Amino acid sequence: MASQFELTRNITIGQYIPTGSIIHKLDACFKLLSFTIMLIAIAICGTYFGNIVILAFSIALFMLSRIPIRYGLSGIKPAIPFVVILAILQLLFYGSVASGGTVLVKSGFILITTDSLRLVVVSAMRFVEIILISSVLTLSTSTTELTHGMERLLKPLKYIKFPVHEFSLIITIAIRFVPTFAMEMEKLMKAQASRGAEFGTGQWWRIVKRTKDMFPLIIPLFNSAMERAEDLILAMEARCYTPGEVRSNYKRYHIKVTDIMVLLFSILFSILILFYPFPY
Amino acid sequence: MMIGKKPLIQVEDVSFQYLVNKDEKIPVLKNISFNIYPGEYVAIIGHNGSGKSTLSKHLNGILKPSQGEVLVNGMNTKEKRLLKRIRQEVGMVFQNPDNQLIATTVEDDVAFGLENTGVPMDEMESRIRFALDVVGMSEMSKRAPHHLSGGQKQRVAIAGIIAMMPKCLVLDEATSMLDTYGRKDILKVIRKLNDDGMAIITVTHHMSEVAEADRVIVIEGGNIVLQGTPREIFQKKAFLQNIQLDVPAASRIAELVHHNHANFNPEIIHSYEIVNEVKRLLKGGENEWR
Repeated sequence: MASQFELTRNITIGQYIPTGSIIHKLDACFKLLSFTIMLIAIAICGTYFGNIVILAFSIALFMLSRIPIRYGLSGIKPAIPFVVILAILQLLFYGSVASGGTVLVKSGFILITTDSLRLVVVSAMRFVEIILISSVLTLSTSTTELTHGMERLLKPLKYIKFPVHEFSLIITIAIRFVPTFAMEMEKLMKAQASRGAEFGTGQWWRIVKRTKDMFPLIIPLFNSAMERAEDLILAMEARCYTPGEVRSNYKRYHIKVTDIMVLLFSILFSILILFYPFPY
Repeated sequence: MMIGKKPLIQVEDVSFQYLVNKDEKIPVLKNISFNIYPGEYVAIIGHNGSGKSTLSKHLNGILKPSQGEVLVNGMNTKEKRLLKRIRQEVGMVFQNPDNQLIATTVEDDVAFGLENTGVPMDEMESRIRFALDVVGMSEMSKRAPHHLSGGQKQRVAIAGIIAMMPKCLVLDEATSMLDTYGRKDILKVIRKLNDDGMAIITVTHHMSEVAEADRVIVIEGGNIVLQGTPREIFQKKAFLQNIQLDVPAASRIAELVHHNHANFNPEIIHSYEIVNEVKRLLKGGENEWR
């Protein structure tokens, strides 16, 4: 019962694990870019061998970042039922779409070919790879670095009048206030519970009731969010914030050789994976 | 003592009313005038709803007077293009420590004001280090705001202002949500800033903080009803009580003792003065104190 009110303890926005590895020291901007390139490669690559190489590579990334692999595996666990259901559906119904290769099973509407089997295995592998690689990214980069990196990546969009800075400021403030609201929620839950309110005690299928239970929390939470927003605006204005104006930036980035190497490496790696004639 | 010095902030005949709707207005401030001089330490006191917080928000142009004028270093707060410069001269720290920090780390938050005013990178770094040093938060520069106590958050908020190097710092009940330790820390920082020449305006109802100031402005019903040094103000105990204001505990104790022992100084406002007074009387050789 005690854990029912402990929301702040479970907050894992940015599960940053500082180990000081080479991967941690990379520029977030380049990390994001390399991540995106790898993601594209994973999405396109459809060979067994290619995916085995990528899988081995993503495990190697974990070792390189000196983060225990169980953090990555714990991310895979909740996805397993999803992957299994998807695999079964693909196995049963994709034979007619990916009909290349030799026919393995054909009975009634079920058609399994070597190609459709490949699709099943490869998409399961893709899932694991994507989860592992994105875990490395979020585990080795703090949220602040990520938002800064994103801001710099989006910078070219300024030329089409996209409010890049405002966008990243919104994200920063949102991240900044998550723990604050979690604490507030905790307080509200305790206050309401001490006056006899019950949360999460209804049966799980009574969705309407369980939703209604949350109203006495959500409405005051919204109310206080509005108040906080007003205060925040005053504080920002008092510190000379004027939307849309030119600002200088505290963080200056020195692009290191390793950053460029990593980017080049991920491009080369992706090209290799996509175009190397793997036998299977 | 301020003769010959140019005032930093001039509040001239300022009135302010909130508009409820087209016809209905609620007057909050009525024809208020005073000056703040460079390096001064001023406390603005008044009970809830007296208009003291509204008044403080006029000092850096967050609110604009309905009538009258506020001039900061000669710049009128009604002129929009001057607002940025005005706010660089007069910094402001607010009540709730949770609602003032913008960034996800302490140093990024201190940098926020500097980024807004376009301070170059190299200068920014030294200014941030200096500001965090003044408030004693240098070791926590990489921490996230939610890992700090209320007092620490408020110190970071002050650092964010110090980094902009204003001539005046306005504290709008900045200590009212803090515990005793947090409040003491903040007061120490304020004292230090004032000693280094920054003007301090504190809006408060903690009378022990008021005792620290050079000058006190008492607001009641949107008017200035009393002005003077803390010692002068606290002698008018009956008047203050009448407008729901208290006097510091030290002042009450001194008056009580003075009642029974006429030569005990009734004009005491700090607790350390009580100790000194007792020592003085003990040394003085008066029989009843032996």
